[in-house]
Amino acid sequence: MTTISFACGRRTANCAGIRAVFAVLALALSMIAGAQQPAAPLLLNAMTTELNRAFTSLGKQGDAKQLPPYFMSYAVSDASAVTIGAQYGALVSKSANHIRVADVQVRLGEPKLDNSHGSHRSSAVNSVTLPLADDREALARSLWLATNAGYGKALESYLRVKTEAEVRAKEEDSSPDFSQEAPQVYLGKPAPPVKIDSSAWEQRVRALSRVFRDYPDVNMNMVLLVVQNETVYFVSSEGSRVVTPHMQARVLVLAMTRADDGMDLFRVQTFEAETAEGLPAQTEMEAAVRNLGNSLEALRKAPVTEPFDGPAILSGRAAAVFFHEVLGHRLEGQRQRGDEEGQTFTKEVGKEVLPTFLSVADDPTLTTFGKIWLNGRYQYDEEGQKAQRVALIEDGVLKTFLMSRLPIASFANSNGHGRAQTGRVPTGRQGNLIVTSTKSVTEAKLRKQLIEEAKKQGKTYGLYFEDISSGFAVTQRRSPQAFEIIPLVVWRVYVDGRPDELVRGVSIVGTPLAAMKRILVTGDKSEVFNGECGAESGTVPVSAVAPAMLVSEMETQKQPQGTARPPILPIPGAEAVAPVKKEAQ
Amino acid sequence: MNSIRSVARFAGAGFLAAILGATCLIASAQTAPQPTRTDAEKDPVLKAMLTELDRSMSRLQLKDFQKPFFIQYRIEEIDGFETKAEFGATSSSRRNHGSLARVTVRVGDYKTDSSGVRSDGAVQLTTTDDDPIALRSALWTATDQAYKSALAAYAQKQAALKQVQTPPQADDFSKETPVISLAQPLKLMVDEQAWEARVARDSGLYRTDASVKDSRRDVQYSLGSFTARVTTTWLVTSEGTIVRKSAAGYEESSAVSAQAADGMRLDLSHASVGVSLNDLDTPEVFEKHTLKLIASLADLRKAPLVEEEYHGPVLLSSGAGVHIINSLLASGVTATRPRMGTEARTNGTFASSYHARVLPEFLDVVDDPSLKSYNGKGLVGAYDVDDEGVPAQAVKLVVAGQLENYLIGREPVRDFPQSNGHGRAGLAAAPSPAIGVLQVTAKNGLTDEELNSKLLALAKDRGLKNVYYVGTLGGKLTPRLLYRVSPDGKRELVRGAELGDLDQRALRSGVVAAGKQLWVANYFSEVPETVLAPALLIDDVTIRRANKKNDKLPFYPPPE
Repeated sequence: MTTISFACGRRTANCAGIRAVFAVLALALSMIAGAQQPAAPLLLNAMTTELNRAFTSLGKQGDAKQLPPYFMSYAVSDASAVTIGAQYGALVSKSANHIRVADVQVRLGEPKLDNSHGSHRSSAVNSVTLPLADDREALARSLWLATNAGYGKALESYLRVKTEAEVRAKEEDSSPDFSQEAPQVYLGKPAPPVKIDSSAWEQRVRALSRVFRDYPDVNMNMVLLVVQNETVYFVSSEGSRVVTPHMQARVLVLAMTRADDGMDLFRVQTFEAETAEGLPAQTEMEAAVRNLGNSLEALRKAPVTEPFDGPAILSGRAAAVFFHEVLGHRLEGQRQRGDEEGQTFTKEVGKEVLPTFLSVADDPTLTTFGKIWLNGRYQYDEEGQKAQRVALIEDGVLKTFLMSRLPIASFANSNGHGRAQTGRVPTGRQGNLIVTSTKSVTEAKLRKQLIEEAKKQGKTYGLYFEDISSGFAVTQRRSPQAFEIIPLVVWRVYVDGRPDELVRGVSIVGTPLAAMKRILVTGDKSEVFNGECGAESGTVPVSAVAPAMLVSEMETQKQPQGTARPPILPIPGAEAVAPVKKEAQ
Repeated sequence: MNSIRSVARFAGAGFLAAILGATCLIASAQTAPQPTRTDAEKDPVLKAMLTELDRSMSRLQLKDFQKPFFIQYRIEEIDGFETKAEFGATSSSRRNHGSLARVTVRVGDYKTDSSGVRSDGAVQLTTTDDDPIALRSALWTATDQAYKSALAAYAQKQAALKQVQTPPQADDFSKETPVISLAQPLKLMVDEQAWEARVARDSGLYRTDASVKDSRRDVQYSLGSFTARVTTTWLVTSEGTIVRKSAAGYEESSAVSAQAADGMRLDLSHASVGVSLNDLDTPEVFEKHTLKLIASLADLRKAPLVEEEYHGPVLLSSGAGVHIINSLLASGVTATRPRMGTEARTNGTFASSYHARVLPEFLDVVDDPSLKSYNGKGLVGAYDVDDEGVPAQAVKLVVAGQLENYLIGREPVRDFPQSNGHGRAGLAAAPSPAIGVLQVTAKNGLTDEELNSKLLALAKDRGLKNVYYVGTLGGKLTPRLLYRVSPDGKRELVRGAELGDLDQRALRSGVVAAGKQLWVANYFSEVPETVLAPALLIDDVTIRRANKKNDKLPFYPPPE
C-alpha cells in the first residue's frame, strides 16, 4: 500500500539521503569530474577512508564463515532544520535541529543473489547517527560500529537467503539482486546551515494562523514553517563519491471544521521554495489561507452527496494526485517482480495503456514548473545514480518503469529513480511525475463537454473535483487492485444551467486501468501537486503535474464519517467577531 | 493533523535546557501575604485559564446531559536544552520550548464520577505567547473533548457498577480545601556552547587522557550528555485552586561500554543531578568520575566470571541500597483505586500490608517533598504543591518497620479519604500518586567500616569461603561492580552475575544492618523523584551467573 500525503515537515534527515552505488571503473571518471570541483569535505574523506578499511578488512580476518562483502556504501545525510508552528493565532512550537545520519549498506554473496534478496531487502542497510563535528576519529568510530552491526545483519540474512534459495521453486522473475552501474563522482557544494530571520517568520506564521479568527467555524488550525537544508554525502566500494545539497522551505497550513452531522472536513495548503526568501509574499499566502477558511465554512454547510457513477472533471491538481496514485506507483520497477505484487503493467511494455493523446514522464531534474517549485526534484538518487528524465508512457504506449538498482526481467539497469528515506533500502520511486496531453481544450470548453457528456448519459449533473487530499493505491496481489482517493472539494455541475453546487462526503473508487482509459480530453493548463509520498522505502518528497481531465465515467461512494458533535461552545473570541464579510467563492 | 500534533508534542517534551545560575527555586508563596485571585489574574496565562474555566463551568452543557461538577486546567511550559556527544564530538544539541494544556472534566459527583481510564482528560498543544485567545482556544477544544468523553465514561461506569455486587470502597474524588499559591517562574539560562564543549570533551577522555590510554582501543561506546529543564506549571480548578509553580533540573552524565574477550557486554555510567548548576559535579570532579569509569571498565574486562551459585550475606553500598529501595519499596507505597467490584484497598505489592511489617524494626521511611536539600545538595523530587493543586505533606510511611500510610492523590481508597499532596504527573499526563523525596533511615546506623566488619563476621560465623559486596547496580538490579570479599577483607572484582531472591521478603526479614550515611539519588525523569537510603547488609541473597547472550566480538578491528 502506498500513500501520497502531506507529511507535515516532520522529516529532519530523511529527505534525500543520496546513496550511490556503482561499477568498479571510477578512476578515469573521477579525474575528469574532479577537475573543476571543490575540495572534498573532511566528512567525505573520513567516510572514504573508513569504507575502504572496512571493505578490505571484513571477511579477511581468518574466519572462513565470514564472507567478504562484494559491495559497500556509506550515505550520510547532514541536515539542519528550523521549524516554527502556530495555532489559533499564536506560536506553539519553535525548534532548530541539526542531525547527521549514516546509512551503511553491506552486500554479501554476489549481485546475482545477495543478502537483500526478496523479503530480506532491509538487511542491506543499517543506520546510525554520526557526530556533528568534523572530527575524523569520532566519525570513524561511529562508522566502524555501524558497519560492524550492518555486516552482522547482512551475514545472518545471507545465510537465510541461501537456504531459502535451495528449498523453493524457481522464481517468476530470476533477475539479479543488484545491477551493474558505472561509479559516479560529483562534488556539489554542501548546503549552508539554515539561516532565517526568526522573529520576522514567527510573526508571519502567527499572522497566517490568526487569519482563521475570522472563521469561527474552523475549530482547529495549524501553520508550520519548515526550512531544511540537507547535504548528502555518498561513497561506495565501487568508487562513487557524491556530494549533493538539497534545500527546501515549506509552509503548510492545515485547517479543520466539523459539520453539524459530525463529518470532519479539512483543507491543506502548502507553499514550497528552495529557501525561505523564495516563498510567496505574505499577502499572497494570507489570501490563500482566507480561501481555505471560506471553503471550510461553505463545505460544512454543503449537502452530503449520494453515490454517483457518471462523467466528471478532475482539476489539474486532482488529476496529478490521481496519476501519482493510480499510475505512478504501478510503474515502480520493483512492483514488477515481487511474488506478492499484482504486476498490473509488467507484461504491458510496448502496449497502449492510456489514451494515445497522453504521455507521462518522471523528471526529477526539473526544479520548477512555471513559477512553482517542485518538491520531487533531486540531482542524484539515494543509490548515487544521476537523476534522469524517464519517458514512462509515450502517446499512450508504456515504454519503461521507474528503476532503482534492483533489476527486473525486462530492464537490467537503474534510471536514477532509486529513492528512500534515511534508514531504508532504495526502490524505484517517483520524483516529478509529469502528464502531458496533445488533446486539450480550454477549461471553459472542458466544462461544456462535461455537461454534454452528462446529458448523453442521461444524468442531471456531472462532478467537478476541485481539490483532493491523500489517497492510497493497493498494488498487492492479495488485495483488490483498487484505489481510493478522498476528494476535499467537489461540485455538482448541473446540465440545466443551475449554479454549481458544492457537496461533501464523496470518495472516488474504482480500478486503475479502466479509469484511465475513460479519459476523453484534457484541459490546456497544468497544475502542480507537491507532497510527500510514503511507501516501502519510506517517505520521499514528490510532485505531480497534470492538466485537468474529463473522464466519461467516475464512480464515487459515500465517505465514512464521524459522528461526534461539533464543539458545544463557540470558539473563544467568536462572540467578539462581527459577522465576517465572506468573499464570494 | 495527528502527525503535526504528535511532532509538536514530541518537540515540546524533548527540550531540556542547560542553565547558568537559575536558582531561585524557593517559592515566594510562603513568605508573601496570601495571594488572591486578583493577584493571579495579573498573570496573562492564569487570566486566560480562569476566563475559559468560568465560561465552561457556567455554559458547557449538552442538552439532556449533566453539566460538569469539576474542571481542572493545567498548562505546562517546558524550556529545555540537551546536548549529547560521542567519542569526543557533539552528536546532537537542541534547545526547545513548548507548552501543553491538559484538561480534566468530571461529571457526576464526588462519590461517583466519570473518572477512569476511559476519561482521564484531554491534551492540547498550546502557545508560549501570552495570547489570551490562543490560550483559551486550546483549552476550549480540549474541554469540549474531555466533557464529551466524560459523559460517555460516566454512562459506562453507571452500567458497570450495576454488574458488581461489592460497592466501591471509597469515593471517586476527594474534596480538598482550595489553595492559591503563586511562585515566580524560573528562567532557563545556560551557556549552551560551553556545555556542548564540556560534554564533548568528557566523551573523548578515553582517547585524550594519558591515564587511560591502554583502554583506548577497548572502549566501544563513550557517550556524554547534559540536560537542563525548567518546567513552569499553571493550574486552576473550578473549586477555586490557583497555582503557579516552577521547577528546574540539571543532569550531566557519561557512559562507557566495552566487551570482554568472551563477548560479554560491560556498561558503566555516572550521572550528576541537581536542581541548580551548583548541585552538579565541578568539571574536575566529573572528569575524575569518567576516568574512573574507563579504568573500572578495563578492570571488568579482565575480571573473572562468577561461577558457582552463592547464597549468603551481601553488603550493598548506599548507592546500591537506593536502587533496591526505589525498585522494591517506592512503587508499593502509593495508593491507587482498586479494580471495581473487589474489596481491595489499593494495588501493588503492599496492597494488603497496611499496619503490617514491611521492613525490619530499625528502619523508618518518610516521604517529605518539602525537603529541598540534603547535606547542601538540591533534591529534584521536592515540591510545594502537587499536580492536583494540593499542598505537599510529609508522610510517615513506615514506622519501626510497619507500614502506616500510603502516598495518595485525590483518588481516595478505603481509610484514606483525603489527598496527602502526592498526586504527581509527567508532562501532560494524568496525575497519579508518586514519591517525592523518599527517605529511609536506620536507628543506630553503622559506619561503612562497621558494616564491613559485620559482613566479615557473618562470613566467619558461617564458615563461608567468601562473601560479596555490591558497589553499583544497573537496571533490573543487575550488579555492575560486584566484589567477592575473602575472609581477610580483600575485595576482588567479578563480572557476569545477577542477584536473586532480592524481593519484598528480603527487605522485610533479611536486612540485618543498615548504614548511617544516606546516599542521595536524584532521578531526573518526567516526574522527578529523590530517594535517600543507607547501605544495607542483607542476610541471604543469591548471586549466580546471569547467562545473558554474549554478542559477537567486532568482525574487524576499530579504526586507529
